[in-house]
Amino acid sequence: MKPLHVALLLGLSALASACQHVDPWERNLLARPDMAWETDEIAATQEQHTYFSKEAAMPGGGVGGGGCGCN
Amino acid sequence: MTPRFLRALLPLAVALTASASFALDEGDRAPDFQARSVVGDAEVVLHEMRGKVVLVDFWASWCAPCNAAMPQLEKLSKEFPSDQFVVLGVNVDKKLADARRALEKRPVTYPNASDPTGMLPKRFGLQTMPTSYLIDQDGVVRLVHRGFRNGDIDELREQVQKLLDKKKGRP
Amino acid sequence: MSQKKRRARCERRAAQRAARSGRGTLAMLTTSALALIPGLAQRAAAQSRENNWSIAYGYSMYSEASLPASKISAGSRERYDIDTHAFKLAAPIGGHISLGLDVTYEKMTGASPWLIQSDLSGDPVVVMTGASIEDARTDVLASVTYIGEKSRTTLSGGASMEDDYTAINFGFGREKDFNQKATTFSWGIGFSTDEIDPNDTSFNPDPTKHHKKTGTFSLGFAQVIDRASVAQSSLTLQYADGFLSDPYKLVSAGGINREDIRPGTRTQVSWLTRYRRHFERVHGSLHGDYQFSWDTWDVKAHVVELGWHQELFELLSLAPSLRYYTQSQAKFYAPYFALGLPAERDASSDYRLSPYGALSFKLRADLSLADWLRVPEARVGVQYERYMSGKEFALGSISRENPALVDFSVLMVTLKTGF
Repeated sequence: MKPLHVALLLGLSALASACQHVDPWERNLLARPDMAWETDEIAATQEQHTYFSKEAAMPGGGVGGGGCGCN
Repeated sequence: MTPRFLRALLPLAVALTASASFALDEGDRAPDFQARSVVGDAEVVLHEMRGKVVLVDFWASWCAPCNAAMPQLEKLSKEFPSDQFVVLGVNVDKKLADARRALEKRPVTYPNASDPTGMLPKRFGLQTMPTSYLIDQDGVVRLVHRGFRNGDIDELREQVQKLLDKKKGRP
Repeated sequence: MSQKKRRARCERRAAQRAARSGRGTLAMLTTSALALIPGLAQRAAAQSRENNWSIAYGYSMYSEASLPASKISAGSRERYDIDTHAFKLAAPIGGHISLGLDVTYEKMTGASPWLIQSDLSGDPVVVMTGASIEDARTDVLASVTYIGEKSRTTLSGGASMEDDYTAINFGFGREKDFNQKATTFSWGIGFSTDEIDPNDTSFNPDPTKHHKKTGTFSLGFAQVIDRASVAQSSLTLQYADGFLSDPYKLVSAGGINREDIRPGTRTQVSWLTRYRRHFERVHGSLHGDYQFSWDTWDVKAHVVELGWHQELFELLSLAPSLRYYTQSQAKFYAPYFALGLPAERDASSDYRLSPYGALSFKLRADLSLADWLRVPEARVGVQYERYMSGKEFALGSISRENPALVDFSVLMVTLKTGF
């Protein structure tokens, strides 16, 4: 598992350093509804449920974040 | 966890903990500014409001809590005499048209400055949207209010009252 | 009459008897996961950042394609039709609490695969149940989120109820922001306990109650990459212990039909990565998701989803998307076992554990009504999806496709409003 740990960490560090700093007042594009992780929560839950009942894979989780970062 | 592992974590930790180097805090002097108004051709000048309590509210058309706050701020601005307290909105939309449209949907009578370049939020060291800065009659920041949630308007009202009372010499 | 034909006739009659009894094979294995589906705590947390109440309703019509006659040896060709009504309510209480309530009501009718047999040329064919089966499921999930300045903490609890199935679940999730909210870390745990009470003895002569316990842990982070793009990655681990089989399914082994038996434990790991990027000049956004799944039953799966969201006339959005899925088989799976098996050996011919691939196409349209109605978040959305599965879509070659693989289409309408 050790090479995997290192690879994951390097990947994360690379991502963190490759990211541009976006000021809180510059998040207009990220606040758009089409930039949300899910356009429609009810539809997303339904879909996940359908796939879960027909397929062997376990649906993955999700994280919040992104968006306008307001409040 | 080997030392090599921990050393690899370091750049990640630095990247994560690094934040904006500057943020205006309570007790600091508010930066003076002059900006074009969102509607009309007037200029909005902060130091012209010296002597009054000023609530500078940073907002944007794409920020939902900002939009929810505006009618409440409008109501607040009418609760105190206009020679003692004023609300000053600072809009950070990149396009003036977006700001104007937002004001058409939620009209307010208090002045709104337009800052599409982001110079003002940078000078204030804005950490999140929305943020309001309550500035006393001498131009000193007395409250930095981050975010806007239900019930926050009551806290703002209380603080404005406190500052007005202090000036009048009441305890 | 040959041995084979006699057996086929017995099974047809059994299927008809089952059809007349009209009770449920349905969705049983699917229900427990609803509340444990990772990400629900995060959705509750995201909605909690709004200051207004919001309510949403969705109606979905799911319909499975009927099987070609060549794949069936007995039973109905028609498959499931499922109608679902879903409600979602979010209510901010004071400045720091947000309550959420999700209620789903589902009505299912149709036939499902009962067992797989070998036809005269050795190809697998499916014996379906009768067509008049009808069942309903109700799911309730309540959550409370505490909103801090840079974090959100959610506690949830729910129940899922069906005629022969009950599940209770609890969940806890936490999100924390860093870097002026450009980075978000999130973790969550969930627990579910399920009871299966198979009361339909025509499909399953053993009326014993069965239990299952499931624990889930997930960890993830989201990162703003630049002004126009964001990405997230999360890992989910799930451990299930108890009765994991389907009491309404049989397996053909050495010409004899026996129970579908699966291992008593299952560990699943899933790694999901998502990317969203907006293109200002064309007013459109690209969505890309990739998921890799692995488990102790030897099933490995990949999911790739690509979508484009196009803004039209400011209030309307059109989003076509494509989803590709492939899975390998469970180690104890076979369409049928030509030779006999020891009585307690794990064996299943469930198509959901077979190797296959699937491609689905989805089209979604959303219309924002917030300005017109002067209420926040008001909008209406319509979505159509067509899902096709088969060995031709799978990665790698498959010698015998499970005849019960399903194609389906879903039409969904959702309404949302704030107040």
